[in-house]
Amino acid sequence: MSSEPRHLHPAAMLLDAIKSIRRSLSAFVIPGIAFLASRGFSGRTFVLILLGALVVTVLAALWGFLSWRATTYQVTGGAFRLRRGVIQKNERTIPLDHVQSVDTVQGIIQRLFGVVELRIETAGGGVSEPDASLSALDRAAAEALRREIGGSRREPVETAAGPAILRRLGTRDLLIAGATSGQIGVALSLVAVASQLFDDLGDFFSQDVIRRAYEAAAPNSIVAVLLLVVAVGVFSWLLAIAGTVLAYTGFTLSREGDFLYIKRGLLERREATIPLARIQAVRIVEGVLRQPFGLASLRVESAGYGEAAGVSTTLFPLLPRKEARRLLLDAAPEFGVVPALNPLPIRALRRYVFRSTVPVLLLAPALTVVSSLALDFVAWGLAELLLVLPAAVYGWLRYRDAGWAYIEDRLVVRSRLLARTTAIAPRRRLQSRAVIRNPFQRRARLATFRAQVASGGGGGAYGVVDLEADSAEALAENLGPRP
Amino acid sequence: MKAEPAERLDPRAKTLWRISNALGTLPLLAGGAFGSWVLLRVAEVPFLLGILPFLAAAVLVVVFVGAVSDLRWRRWRYEIREDEVDLQRGIFWVSRTLVPLARIQHVDTRQGPLQRRFGLATVVFYTAAGPNEIPELSAPVADGVRDRIAELTREQDEL
Repeated sequence: MSSEPRHLHPAAMLLDAIKSIRRSLSAFVIPGIAFLASRGFSGRTFVLILLGALVVTVLAALWGFLSWRATTYQVTGGAFRLRRGVIQKNERTIPLDHVQSVDTVQGIIQRLFGVVELRIETAGGGVSEPDASLSALDRAAAEALRREIGGSRREPVETAAGPAILRRLGTRDLLIAGATSGQIGVALSLVAVASQLFDDLGDFFSQDVIRRAYEAAAPNSIVAVLLLVVAVGVFSWLLAIAGTVLAYTGFTLSREGDFLYIKRGLLERREATIPLARIQAVRIVEGVLRQPFGLASLRVESAGYGEAAGVSTTLFPLLPRKEARRLLLDAAPEFGVVPALNPLPIRALRRYVFRSTVPVLLLAPALTVVSSLALDFVAWGLAELLLVLPAAVYGWLRYRDAGWAYIEDRLVVRSRLLARTTAIAPRRRLQSRAVIRNPFQRRARLATFRAQVASGGGGGAYGVVDLEADSAEALAENLGPRP
Repeated sequence: MKAEPAERLDPRAKTLWRISNALGTLPLLAGGAFGSWVLLRVAEVPFLLGILPFLAAAVLVVVFVGAVSDLRWRRWRYEIREDEVDLQRGIFWVSRTLVPLARIQHVDTRQGPLQRRFGLATVVFYTAAGPNEIPELSAPVADGVRDRIAELTREQDEL
C-alpha cells in the first residue's frame, strides 16, 4: 500500500495564516497598549496601526502559503509520513501498526470550506497533543486516508454503505439531555463568578442608586431574594442546556466492523473513532434528574496504551434505560447484558445507614461548640441534627440501588453516589479483583468487592460494598483466569 | 476462595518499618512538645495539664512505631500461583487482591537507601490499571519473585 505525497486542502493556508496572526496579536497587545497609553491616540497612530496590521496580514498569508506548500503527507511502506516546515524541515513517520485512532474535528472555518481536520493518535502518544494533525482535508481525501491507514490494520469489511448508523440523538432528546444534565452546578458557579464581577461593577455606580433600589425592594426583601434565586437558577439551567446543545447536537453513533464512530457538535463538528477492542467497560449512568423519567446516558471506558491514559467517552448522551441493552448489543455486543441484579443482604442496610449518618452526627457537637462560642447561638448544632433523617434516607437509597451480578462471564455492578451507575465489564478485561473486609464487616459476614479495569490514569475501579462475604469470594474466584 | 497466601515478607521488614515510622512521626512528637512548651511557659498552666499534649503525642508514636509495624507484617502475605498473584494486606481493612499473571505488563525490583542497608527490596508489577507492590523481601528473594513473575507472565502470553 503506497501513495504519492499529497498536499492539504488550500484552506490550510488560511487556517495557518489565522493561527500566526493570532500568535502575533498576543505578542503585540501589551506593547501596543503601552504605546497607546504613552503617546495618546491620534490620526498618525491610527495609520501606523493599520499599516502594522496590513504587514502582519501579508506576512501571515505568505507564511500560510509557504507552509502549505511545504506540508505533504503520504502512506507508504506500511507507515504514515508527514513532511512539514518552511525553514526547518521536519519529517514524521508513524508506523501504521501504532496508529490507535484517526479522529476528525471540524471547526467553524473548516465548516465554511467543507473540510475537516484529521488527527492521528498513536499508542503511547501525548494525551493533549495529537501525534499528527492535518488541518484541512476535503471529505473525500480524509475518507481515503482513513481507509489507507485503517486498511492495513485489519481486513476492511467492505460495505458500500459505510458505517451503519445505530442511533441518532433527536432535537427533543437533545433538549431533554440538556435540561436534565445535572450540569446546573457547574453553570451555577459560572453565574456566581459573573455576579462577583457585577458586584465590582456595582461599586462603580453611585451608592445612591443602589441604596434606592435596595429601599424599593426592602419591604419585600424576602420576595426579592427568592426572585433572585429563581432567576439565577433558571439562567444557570439555560446555560447548562446551551452547553449540552453545543456539545451534542447531531450526536450520531455508528459502527463499521470493529470500530465505533461518534459524530457530534453544533459549531465544532467532532468525529471520534473507538476501536471495540479497546473498550474495557461500559457504564449506564442514571442521573438524579433522569432516573425518575427512566432515562440514562451511556459511557465507555477505553484503555490507554503503555503510559498513555485511557479515556472515558460518552457513547450516547440520552436514551431510555430500557433501550440501553439493545443499543449495546448493536454497538458493543460484549457488553450487552443488563440482567436482574442480586440485592445486598438486609444486614447491610444498617451499615449503609450508619455510614451516611455518622458524618452528620459527628458534626453536630462540633457545630454546637463553635456556634455557642462564636455566634452565641446554640441551636445551629441542633438544627443540623435535622439532617440526620435525609442522611439516613440517602443511606437507604444507596443500599437499595447497590447490586451485583455475574452473568455470561461478565461482572455487572450497580451503585449510587448521586447518579445511579451500572458498570458492565467482561472477565477478561479485569486487571485485578480484591475482597476487602474491616472488623465490623467480618462480624456481619459482609465484604467489599472491587475490580479494576484499565482506564484513565488510576484505572477505573468498580465495586460493591457490603455484599455477602461468600458471594464476594465466589465473585473473585469466578472472575479469575481460566485454566 | 483459596486459602490465604503462603509466603510472608522478610522479618527484617518490621525493624525497617519501625525506623521509617519513627522518622515519619517525629513531626508529631515535635508538635506535641511545642504544644506543651506553649502551655507551660506561655499560658503557665499546672505542670500535669501542660505535659498532656506531649504525652498524647508520645503515646501515639509508641503505638504507631511499636504495634502498627508488627500488625502490618503479620497480615502481609503473598503467593505467586501458577495463574495469578495473590496478595493479602491491611491492618483495619484487610484486603485480598488477585492479579492474573496474564494481565501483568512488566515487573521491577526497587531498593531505597534504607532498604539497601537491610538488604531488602520491593517487587513492583504493573498492569494496565496501575502498579502493585510486594514490599520488603530480602533482595535475593525479591529477584527470584521478579523473575518468576516475568517467566510465568510470558508463559501466559503464549497461551
